[in-house]
Amino acid sequence: MIHDDRITRREALAQVALLLGTAISTPTLAAALDAGAGDAWRSPLGWVPRTLSPDQLELVAVMADHIIPASDTPGARGAGVHRFVDALLTDHYPADDRQRFLAGLGDVDARARSRQSKRFSECTPVQQVAMLKEMDEAAYPSGGDPSERPPETWFFRRLKEVTLVGYYTSDIGASRELRVNPMGLFRGDIPFPPSGGREWS
Amino acid sequence: MITYDAIVIGSGITGGWAAKELTEKGLRTLVVERGRNVVHRKDYITEHKPVWEFPLRNARLSVGTKGAEAYPIQARTSQFRESNKHFFMPDRKNPYVEEKPFTWIQGDQVGGKSLIWGRQVYRWSDLDFEANLRDGHGVDWPIRYADIAPWYSYVERFIGVSGEKLGLPHLPDGEFQPPMEMNAGEKFVKAGIEKVFPDRHVTVGRVAILTQRIGDRLPCHYCGPCERGCSTGSYFSSQASTLPAAQATGRLTIVPDSVVHSVLYDAATNRVTGVRVVDAKTKATREYYARLVFVCASALGTARILLNSTSTRFPNGLANSSGVLGHYLMDHHFLAGASGHIDGLLDRYYQGNRPNGIYIPRFRNLGDDASRRDYMRGFGYQGGASRGGWGRGGSQVGFGIELKHRLQEPGGWTFNMTGFGECLPREDNFAALSDQTDEFGMPVLRIHCTWGDNELSMRKDMAASAAEMLEAAGCKDVRTHDANKVDALGAEPGLGIHEMGTARMGRDPKTSVLNAYNQAHDVPNLFVTDGACMTSSSCVNPSITYMALTARACDHAVAEMKRGNV
Repeated sequence: MIHDDRITRREALAQVALLLGTAISTPTLAAALDAGAGDAWRSPLGWVPRTLSPDQLELVAVMADHIIPASDTPGARGAGVHRFVDALLTDHYPADDRQRFLAGLGDVDARARSRQSKRFSECTPVQQVAMLKEMDEAAYPSGGDPSERPPETWFFRRLKEVTLVGYYTSDIGASRELRVNPMGLFRGDIPFPPSGGREWS
Repeated sequence: MITYDAIVIGSGITGGWAAKELTEKGLRTLVVERGRNVVHRKDYITEHKPVWEFPLRNARLSVGTKGAEAYPIQARTSQFRESNKHFFMPDRKNPYVEEKPFTWIQGDQVGGKSLIWGRQVYRWSDLDFEANLRDGHGVDWPIRYADIAPWYSYVERFIGVSGEKLGLPHLPDGEFQPPMEMNAGEKFVKAGIEKVFPDRHVTVGRVAILTQRIGDRLPCHYCGPCERGCSTGSYFSSQASTLPAAQATGRLTIVPDSVVHSVLYDAATNRVTGVRVVDAKTKATREYYARLVFVCASALGTARILLNSTSTRFPNGLANSSGVLGHYLMDHHFLAGASGHIDGLLDRYYQGNRPNGIYIPRFRNLGDDASRRDYMRGFGYQGGASRGGWGRGGSQVGFGIELKHRLQEPGGWTFNMTGFGECLPREDNFAALSDQTDEFGMPVLRIHCTWGDNELSMRKDMAASAAEMLEAAGCKDVRTHDANKVDALGAEPGLGIHEMGTARMGRDPKTSVLNAYNQAHDVPNLFVTDGACMTSSSCVNPSITYMALTARACDHAVAEMKRGNV
């Protein structure tokens, strides 16, 4: 048995949220299953970033799309994760977190310049993935205590988290990549096919 | 002069019940509510809204984040989110002085916190009603289980409670609708715990959520987030349940946006005569009059109003000849427990969002071999099992197609549980009026409340016993947690949102505010039936006990009126 003080409040609060039925908000079946995927990546008419510069916005979109790429469903760019990140930075993050995130974006470009003498967005996809792999492996050292991640990897862990949130809570991520848990009945204990299946978003 | 038969202060869980009972017994009743009006269905503005339609995707708005600026206190609870922030009190409207960390979570609308409550409902037993007498902490309750049992039944039949009967003397069964189902992980842990600890039980939560129709209230459709409001009235709220019943009598008037400043008292007759109200919008003052006043403004809200209702006869607060008004503040301490992984069961899943978890009834200090000497009283656990969702990807190495495919299927099972522990009644845990006033000209409370040695000792067992049971059940990677911090936020008093005990019931007018019928010892036509009335705290969620006490008090009050005593 391990006693862990650092993650206690978050874990405990998540636990209470779970038992009070608020763990994950629940989209409805009314989800538009046919939201046009073809041009979903295009920003809605008139949308402009409020915190990120055009270059920063593109940098977020490129990295997020490597984290969750397109497959038989659109990836992070297609789901507009970069727009969600701009909304989070503008309307939710405290100023110091926002600055830290923006500084992290700057560090990514600095890393790309030192490796490839180019901005990250100008590197080839292979070069980009190689740099992200470096950051990923540094952020989650194998065998490490999940509550003791290296502090200098804060940016990458945060980027990955907001990419997952932005993707899997989008219409595309929640209702096409995964399945919206339908309301109606509760069936507490049902078979899950050995061949696999999509989880509830 | 506007005169009613009865005035009820507050429209939440107990105010709604008082309104229903009094109007159904023929009294023209005015409900005075400080918050805005919220109309059933129409004002549930986020109900069934897909997550992607929220700009922040229904973010938890924690303290210090943008979006929570107007709610520096309310944002401390994990219940406070983008989707339901409109059902919480903007903190500038009711500031208070925190002498020690104390979180006061409040509703600010018709229906009060009944719209956002946790809905877990458990009867008390004589283990609870006799606790103070047995160990000498606090004063003796003036009632026993037999006094309240029929009122529990009366309330349960009306609000609708689903749950499983266990036949336990210390957690009495009620009038239950069919229970919700456990999932495979919960069944696994239940079987493991009950095998190793035959005197312990794992049951699905008893909740005020319908599994069968009652009138025009429909069974739960398992959309999940009750706290956004429920158009089908499937969980108990004032809007869905008690206020419509009161409205149907034609004898109910509700005035929202009306902050009660004080209760009016006439020394010549020794009766309360009405309330003084500040209009929340115009700040104008007005008065309403009645023969009977029920104070249902929440434990701390009620204490504040009574403390602010001073007169020559009651210079320290209305009906406070005992001096205990505001004292013996309690809450349940929680956020101490354990979690663990369950191997296997990967061929089992669930469908629908059950707004409920599992419950493990108290098993300590029942007067048998399970008794302990390092603390008094006990705790129960709430928790549940689930399979890992996409969020697990944020704490694991890997990205790209491999990650996307991995997150497409549900992860392994995790079981998580936290204790809810009883809090001893202590004189030095209190709320009093400060020398500051709010925008309505009312003195704000200063609150001084801490956990004592008994609670802190109990917490160690809450965490250790949770881990012991999970390991016995065969869980892996079992971890304990305890969020409490000394003199800091974490699991501070108030965060349980079960605050109670500031105007306690008792047998002796010298040491209590209310008698066995929630009637002020000092003033016969004044009743307090919210959490303020509680003499001890038990370890189970308190709301249904408040409801049963309210219905019982209304019955007594009207009978006394008819006899000419009130």
